[in-house]
Amino acid sequence: MKKLYSNKPVILSLVLPGLLVFLFAVLAPICLSVYYGFTDYSGMGEARLIGFDNYANLFHDSAFGRSLKNSLLLAIGFICIQHPLAILVAAVLDKLQGKAEGIFRCIYFIPNVISVAVIAYLWKFIYNPDFGLLNNIAKAFGHPGKINWLSQQNAIWSVLIVLIWHGFGWGMLIYYTGIKNIDPVLYEAASIDGANWWTTFMRITLPMMKPVIQINVTMAIISALKQMETVYLLTNGGPNNSTQFVANYLYQQAFKAFKYGYGNAIGVVFIIICVLATVTLNTIFKDKQEA
Amino acid sequence: MKKKWTAALLAGAMTVSMLVGCGSTGDSETASESVQSDTKGQEKVEADSTANDGASSDEEITIKLFSNLPDRKNGQGLVEQMIIDEYMDANPNVTIEVEALDEEAYKTKFKAYAMNGMPDVVSIWGQPSFLDEVLDAGVLAELNEEDYLDYSFIAGSLDGFKKDDKLYGLPRNTDIMLFYYNQKMFDDNGWKVPATYEELLSLCGDIQAAGITPVAMDGGDGWPMACFLTDIMVKIAGTDYADIVSKAVAAGDFNAPEIQQATQILVQSADAGMFQIGYDSQDYGTAMNLFTNGQAAMFCMGSWECSMALNEDIAPEIRDNIRAFTMPTIDGGKGKASDIAAWNGGGYAVSANSQVKDEAIKFLNYMYQPDKLSKYGWENGVGLSAQDQTAYLTGSETELQKQVMDILKNAGSISGTPINDCGPSAFKTAIESEIQGVSNGSTSVDDFLAAIGAACK
Repeated sequence: MKKLYSNKPVILSLVLPGLLVFLFAVLAPICLSVYYGFTDYSGMGEARLIGFDNYANLFHDSAFGRSLKNSLLLAIGFICIQHPLAILVAAVLDKLQGKAEGIFRCIYFIPNVISVAVIAYLWKFIYNPDFGLLNNIAKAFGHPGKINWLSQQNAIWSVLIVLIWHGFGWGMLIYYTGIKNIDPVLYEAASIDGANWWTTFMRITLPMMKPVIQINVTMAIISALKQMETVYLLTNGGPNNSTQFVANYLYQQAFKAFKYGYGNAIGVVFIIICVLATVTLNTIFKDKQEA
Repeated sequence: MKKKWTAALLAGAMTVSMLVGCGSTGDSETASESVQSDTKGQEKVEADSTANDGASSDEEITIKLFSNLPDRKNGQGLVEQMIIDEYMDANPNVTIEVEALDEEAYKTKFKAYAMNGMPDVVSIWGQPSFLDEVLDAGVLAELNEEDYLDYSFIAGSLDGFKKDDKLYGLPRNTDIMLFYYNQKMFDDNGWKVPATYEELLSLCGDIQAAGITPVAMDGGDGWPMACFLTDIMVKIAGTDYADIVSKAVAAGDFNAPEIQQATQILVQSADAGMFQIGYDSQDYGTAMNLFTNGQAAMFCMGSWECSMALNEDIAPEIRDNIRAFTMPTIDGGKGKASDIAAWNGGGYAVSANSQVKDEAIKFLNYMYQPDKLSKYGWENGVGLSAQDQTAYLTGSETELQKQVMDILKNAGSISGTPINDCGPSAFKTAIESEIQGVSNGSTSVDDFLAAIGAACK
């Protein structure tokens, strides 16, 4: 067996499929993106090299700036609202035991099971000023007139609520699994020492969950950056780009505005931001682990 | 450190590949639907060819048709399918395979096809925002204009499909911008069809006072509002509209007084509550439902929605009372009531590199024989074609159909392409987004005009 593994052709044949997939499905498209980012390619006809023009334009593009800001806002929303809540709910669920645990776990996870298209249309109806649920509730409480939840000023917050709500179950489930994997002996020892629920949560649950939190937060940031489907279906970035996100803006520029080169430049900047975010997060978590 | 960077790179790559994966989901669903309808079509084709077995021994030809009409059982899609079936019956050696996608998905895939070889017959739009890039890429076959002299195309309707006086496609419809209104609601409340924009504004005030939305507007998509702006401009600039807009697009400068005034009127109208609350984020269906449910008194949309009068899903008391009027005249404007915002948008073309180009052009010409697209379209209430339809009046047309026919017949001038489709697609994308900002008051008129000007450069 050992001989087999030191046989170079065998090693090659084992590594090759993965390597090929990486080369042609990941690396080659990225390289092509970098190339097209330097052209004025419209998606048809000839591509002309134009140097850094696309990148220079990006800096003056207010819609791109807005979409970056919105992606950042979403990432903050995920980290500061969605995840603390998810950890708390997971810890409470763990304490519930019995039937209730299963039922609540299921309820919290339901939004993740429903298709994104359905979610988007569901919320479109909830937010509708004429027949939407929210306005009817407001009316029942005596609010006069109609509230425009998706107006230029309100839209981004309304969209953030949907996205945070939609991803909540997924984050919670991972935290829940993490908590379940903590050795019960630790809790037993803590209760013998007289620790209350809060101390146990802060001193045992949270520290033991560090690797899970690291993965979850990284995934949350990446999903905030690549947010596309829900926004595309809910507002398509409108009104006037107020709910624009990077991935959706990339799509609009490349495939609707026939600015394929510009779209690729956005893609390249997007990759760089994703890489930087991951490196930063790794550094932060590593420092913490060492400390 | 090196390891960290590698990990980070891998994470980045993963994100990109996930993004690619996500993007394609929607498409593949739509595509699979179209494949299903293809197979059905093919079954029928096979049945047809067996029925006509032996009728012709010509070589087998397959024409691929790429269409933006996925609904093959209603409206325009049904008309297209009827003609395809007839053509295959008449030419047993020809098989026509249809691939149909919704407009947005269609345009995306059209571009992919343009890079790697197009289907033989394709749907196109005779407007600069779509056609300019396509013609620059040289993917469409030139047609011989003289072939169509006796096809009774409406004068000027072929213009949008030409470049350097060469014809590359044929128009399917004539679209007119309209205010649909509920006649019964108007009568019950003593409201009258406005003759001037002043009257329209005061009418909207009265309707609002009655607790009803005056005009249902699909502002979420951007283009209906751009068409609305076009309509206002036509009433201000009259027959100069096309000239003013094409100059503005060429120079990237939209500060012409007519454009400024039109935009200001749009802003004032939106500010005065002409449209429903939240119009700038609501889509086509939502806006139309407001009107067809009786929650809005008017609906601003193109003549292709005339089939509302035949739509069984709309309650009869509303469906039977739908009428239409065009944009009223504006005080001090050059446009008369008979100068209307109308254009010839969608149509068909043949691929330049088609293996079966001759047969594809033969099929295209067959579709446009006056008793095909025009006649069937009229009979199915699809709206107005780009050809003379007077010969096909059945006498059982809806009031709405007759009204719209009269509007076109009595038109003194026709505006041509709406403003959003007059420039490159980057301009189209910009104006359709910026117009939401200017109408809801978050962008000033000057900033709006500067932004759309910049998108032309």
